[in-house]
Amino acid sequence: MKTDPITLELFKNALFSIADEMAVTICRTTYSGVLRDNMDFSTAFTDAGGKLVAQGLTIPLHLGSIPTALEAVLAEFEGDIHPGDVFVINDPYHGGMHLPDVFIFKPIFVDGERLAFGATISHQADMGGRVPGSNASDSTEIFQEGLRIPPLKLYERGQPNETMWAMIETNVRIPVQVTGDMRAQLSACNIAERQFLELVERFGLETTRHYMMAVIEYAERLARAGLRELPDGEYSFEDWIDDDGIDRDQPIRLFCTIRKHGDAIQVDWDGSAPQVKGAINCTLSFTKAVSYAAVRSVLAADIPCNEGLFRAIDVTAPPGTVTNMVLPAACAARGLTGFRMGDCIYGALAKMLPDKVGAASDGGNTGITVGGYDDDRKPFIFVDFACGSWGGRPWADGVQGNSNMFANMASQSIELIEAENPLQVLSYELIPDRAGIGEYRGGVPYRRDYRFLEKEAVLQVRSDRRRVRPYGLYGGRPGKPSCNILNPDRNAQVLDSKLTMTLYQGDVFRHELPGGGGWGDPLKRDPQKVLKDVRNEFVSLECAATDYGVVIDDATWQVDEAATTLLREAHREKRGAEPLPTVTWEDA
Amino acid sequence: MNAVGNEKPSTDVYRVGVDIGGTFTDIVFVSPDGAVITRKVSSTADDYARAIIDGIGQVITSHVLEDISIGEVMHGTTVASNAILEMTGARTGLITTRGFRDVLELRTLRMPRLYDLAWEKPPPLVERYLRMEVDERIDANGNIQREVDSADIGRAVERLLAEGVEAIAVCLLNSFANPVHEQMVLEVLKTKAPHIPCCISFDVLPEMKEYERTSTTVINAYLLPVVSNYLASLVRKLAEIGVNAPLLLMQSNGGLTTVEQAGRLPCHIIESGPAAGVVGAQALSQASGIDDVVSFDMGGTTAKASLIEKGMYSRAVEYSVGAGIMVGSRLLTGAGYRLKVPAIDLAEVGAGGGSIVWLDAGGAMQIGPRSAGASPGPVCYGLGGSEPTVTDANVVLGYLNPDYLVGGELKIDSELSYSVLSHVVATPLGIDLVEAAHGAHEIAAANMIRAVKAVSSERGRDPRSYAMVAFGGNGPLFAATMAKVLGMKRILVPPSPGVFSALGLLSAAVEHHYSRTLRRVVRLTDPLELETQWQVLETEARAQLAADGFTPDKTALYRSANMHYQGQIYELSVPVEAGLFDAAAVPILEEAFATEHERTYGHRAGPDEPVELVNLELVGRGLTEDRGLPVDQGDSCAVPEKTGLRRAYFGRADGWIDTPVLKDRRQLSGAHDGPLIIEEYDATCVVPPRVCATLDEQGNILLTL
Repeated sequence: MKTDPITLELFKNALFSIADEMAVTICRTTYSGVLRDNMDFSTAFTDAGGKLVAQGLTIPLHLGSIPTALEAVLAEFEGDIHPGDVFVINDPYHGGMHLPDVFIFKPIFVDGERLAFGATISHQADMGGRVPGSNASDSTEIFQEGLRIPPLKLYERGQPNETMWAMIETNVRIPVQVTGDMRAQLSACNIAERQFLELVERFGLETTRHYMMAVIEYAERLARAGLRELPDGEYSFEDWIDDDGIDRDQPIRLFCTIRKHGDAIQVDWDGSAPQVKGAINCTLSFTKAVSYAAVRSVLAADIPCNEGLFRAIDVTAPPGTVTNMVLPAACAARGLTGFRMGDCIYGALAKMLPDKVGAASDGGNTGITVGGYDDDRKPFIFVDFACGSWGGRPWADGVQGNSNMFANMASQSIELIEAENPLQVLSYELIPDRAGIGEYRGGVPYRRDYRFLEKEAVLQVRSDRRRVRPYGLYGGRPGKPSCNILNPDRNAQVLDSKLTMTLYQGDVFRHELPGGGGWGDPLKRDPQKVLKDVRNEFVSLECAATDYGVVIDDATWQVDEAATTLLREAHREKRGAEPLPTVTWEDA
Repeated sequence: MNAVGNEKPSTDVYRVGVDIGGTFTDIVFVSPDGAVITRKVSSTADDYARAIIDGIGQVITSHVLEDISIGEVMHGTTVASNAILEMTGARTGLITTRGFRDVLELRTLRMPRLYDLAWEKPPPLVERYLRMEVDERIDANGNIQREVDSADIGRAVERLLAEGVEAIAVCLLNSFANPVHEQMVLEVLKTKAPHIPCCISFDVLPEMKEYERTSTTVINAYLLPVVSNYLASLVRKLAEIGVNAPLLLMQSNGGLTTVEQAGRLPCHIIESGPAAGVVGAQALSQASGIDDVVSFDMGGTTAKASLIEKGMYSRAVEYSVGAGIMVGSRLLTGAGYRLKVPAIDLAEVGAGGGSIVWLDAGGAMQIGPRSAGASPGPVCYGLGGSEPTVTDANVVLGYLNPDYLVGGELKIDSELSYSVLSHVVATPLGIDLVEAAHGAHEIAAANMIRAVKAVSSERGRDPRSYAMVAFGGNGPLFAATMAKVLGMKRILVPPSPGVFSALGLLSAAVEHHYSRTLRRVVRLTDPLELETQWQVLETEARAQLAADGFTPDKTALYRSANMHYQGQIYELSVPVEAGLFDAAAVPILEEAFATEHERTYGHRAGPDEPVELVNLELVGRGLTEDRGLPVDQGDSCAVPEKTGLRRAYFGRADGWIDTPVLKDRRQLSGAHDGPLIIEEYDATCVVPPRVCATLDEQGNILLTL
């Protein structure tokens, strides 16, 4: 069958609209804060063989994870897949990513022939294991992390697998929420099936089969056309995670090499650290997701997320490293490594595309969990993820108060937090003089202060970018590090970046995010931009002078041009003739 | 002001609808016996009132209506939304709680576009140095933890005055639970800054969630001076030409409001224009006895879809102004400026007659969202347009007249359409010109279908059981193509589809919306507490409607409850029966919620799962008689007898067909089978083969698939 460009567009439109509708269904019916605020779920269609045809608009960190999981299902069940079956998995050593990410698949049949799978992933609020939320960063093997589900049938020919449901209900802390959210996944799969059958009715069986392939080929054409526009060559970058929270003095190396030739690109993670004890190891599928998302973001076109995109991007990572873990590595908090792989690959891309890619972000989100029991032994659990700053870009400051590129996160309302948890938030504000300085500065980070109101709770924090700061580029300087403080207003105590401790009534925990890295020579920053930052108290008068060489009269809010010229000259003289470093993790 | 509610129209009193659009201002006069006079004048962006005054003046003089009075003027305006889009609102200051001045700037952290390294957040409407903090704290239950000090407030106000602000918004943390500190700030403002327009969040949106409340309050303050000045000037100018009738404004929620209320709460009139069309579709649905309708409005740049169920449109509880048109999914929020006020639930896509047809790097044909607009417009206008548009494709297909549009007022050159589509689309794709044109038509339809699905199937509603009401300059041209794909069986094309939004204004009623956050697990709550709170809202609504001139017997109040299963973030609103809310009403309310949840999402939770109330809501409506659409809108001129024939293309299966062209819908006597083209002054209706067209009693073209 010849591909008709018009039918292709109509078919593609119809198919992606189903995938989006599945996503809307999950989002609106969900119970869990992780799903609703972090949009930590994805929906998709694959062909009969498990090749991804259309992924709904959800989070970049799930790109390409579905084929790996479905491959595991097919390996186990091919020959025993029937109408009415539904499959479930979550085990990272059977195609999953980490235990909270539960995959649910439903095969779709037309006249007895399997034509497609409806696929969903949702980050469930709990999967059992040592800690509420199954998210601990200090587990050291997968067996501590919760319930592992290899490929299994959740429904067999339309009949629920009661054993399976009972196992899940028994092993999770909040069965009503978890099964509720799994029901939402199921109803998304049912919507997929119903609408796909309508699609077949409209286009015909033969055409549907043909155009599922054609949509993949179309994405590959777009991706390759985009890749041809990029310069050929090999570009490497290294960056470090502070530590895994277990071996506290051991920085963890991430190393990425990009090899681009013609219309193909390879992302190679060889050189990254061996897997670690702490739960921040990644499956290869997760490393692929980060790599696909980063490369896609530097391509010009709006490329459909499917197999075609993946064909153009080859991702490799040696087994036994943090980027491709093997048993029994733990991985619940692997998000940290994912965000940092993002910063690392962008470092390499910035070398390839110096006018397109900016300095380091704040390094992704900090996870904060406060959990315990109130006087009536009723459990409470509060989970917050904080992130917010991008690095300075070759043409503009880093965005601030914004989700990291790889997630699509939303903050929780302060008033909602206070109404639902034994917590009071004392401040939620941007912090001056913390952004990486540069011609285009990094995004300004924020702090949150939480006062604990119950008797006792366990506080867990997973943060990073304390020692190895968000790098600056092309003369820009790194963002200031993250910080955790207990009781900032009475005998303040600085805490580790990763911690588990007891909170008592009245304790105040402060988290300060790191600032985004700066881009370009700060002495070239437009003095009017510095003035605006000073007026808005993002930069102090002192730092305007010492960092940017800009002298401001705060009575009239004017830049003193003459004094600025002199001061900038003095700064340059002091700096010497040395060229500015391309990448830096330290202040000058 | 004059009473709105209890005025009995005499026979010679005209009602006037005025709808401002980006290009044209549409004016309709309707007499009590249903005669309609329409006028399209160019909008005057420097002072929108001028075009209105000119247009009304022209109708009065040209139709010798001097001795005929105007009973009321209903107005849909873009003044508020333009002030936001063009950032021309007041220099605004904000007063907030210590530690929280960045709530407005941090927003929700979410961004609307994935994979976009060039993303920029919209700049906050109040810069950081104009956001002042006062030292105070109220907890989530409304208890005062730290008293506010009026000297501290005084300092904040003085600093804002020194900075020369023109409006002030006040939003303190947890004020929805206890407004006393905000009210103290308001007192200080009244003494220290009596000339500065200001508002406190409790008066604008007494609901939980500080970002949504702050953003809404700030937008309201930002608009206060602009909107009140505009309305004052419009009222004055109307009086100057002898029009002293009450002026009513269309709100985003589909109800009308008075000049006084709109001047106090301008955040409610932002989506005035799009709402009017849906209200018109609702009136049409009621008049024709078709309860379930998809309203489809397609103009030159965008297309909008909305759902009417059981004769009622649905409302979204929040939206963003200036978020741009919906490009793919409703999941991507974070663009524009967040407003948590009810608005008619619309989905909008960038597909209109002027939308550009282009090819992407993968060799697929794309439509929009870029538009050639009114200038240069489609290539066939000959005004210098060089990129093919949807209208050019419709010319090639023979759907539009090859020589002129708008009843002869706009000459076009169809050769230009042929040549541009051939060079830019057909040749590179290696397909026939007409296949390319038909492809563009179908892809544009597919984009608009996504808007229809966003308001129907994505909400658990099956579009096949709905009729479509198609209007706007291009709606009747695409309706049948879309309905076929969606499996819809009936389409109604109202008379004067091009000015239908202005007509819709005339069928709206005065409405005021109230809400209050009250988070309670429904089954554990004291029903009396809910009853008391609803009564508070009802007292407020009755007082407002009385001030608007409605006597108690002309006042209707509607309660609803906004709820979710405990733990869910999205709420659903369900109507609550009038009458005392007592213990017996509690299970009924829970069941109503579960039913709605099942209908919308396909499943309900078990009976043990607690339902949580989030907000109490109340709508107060002023009742008036005769707010339906005018029935007979035919002008007095004779029905033309002649019909022509034009070759039109209806896809590969049907190919080119010599298609009858009617110049007036009244030429439809009995049922006509397609293909057929009904080419009227303000819109062209295309009836493809196997679709049947008739004229109904209200003058609508009814298409049956």
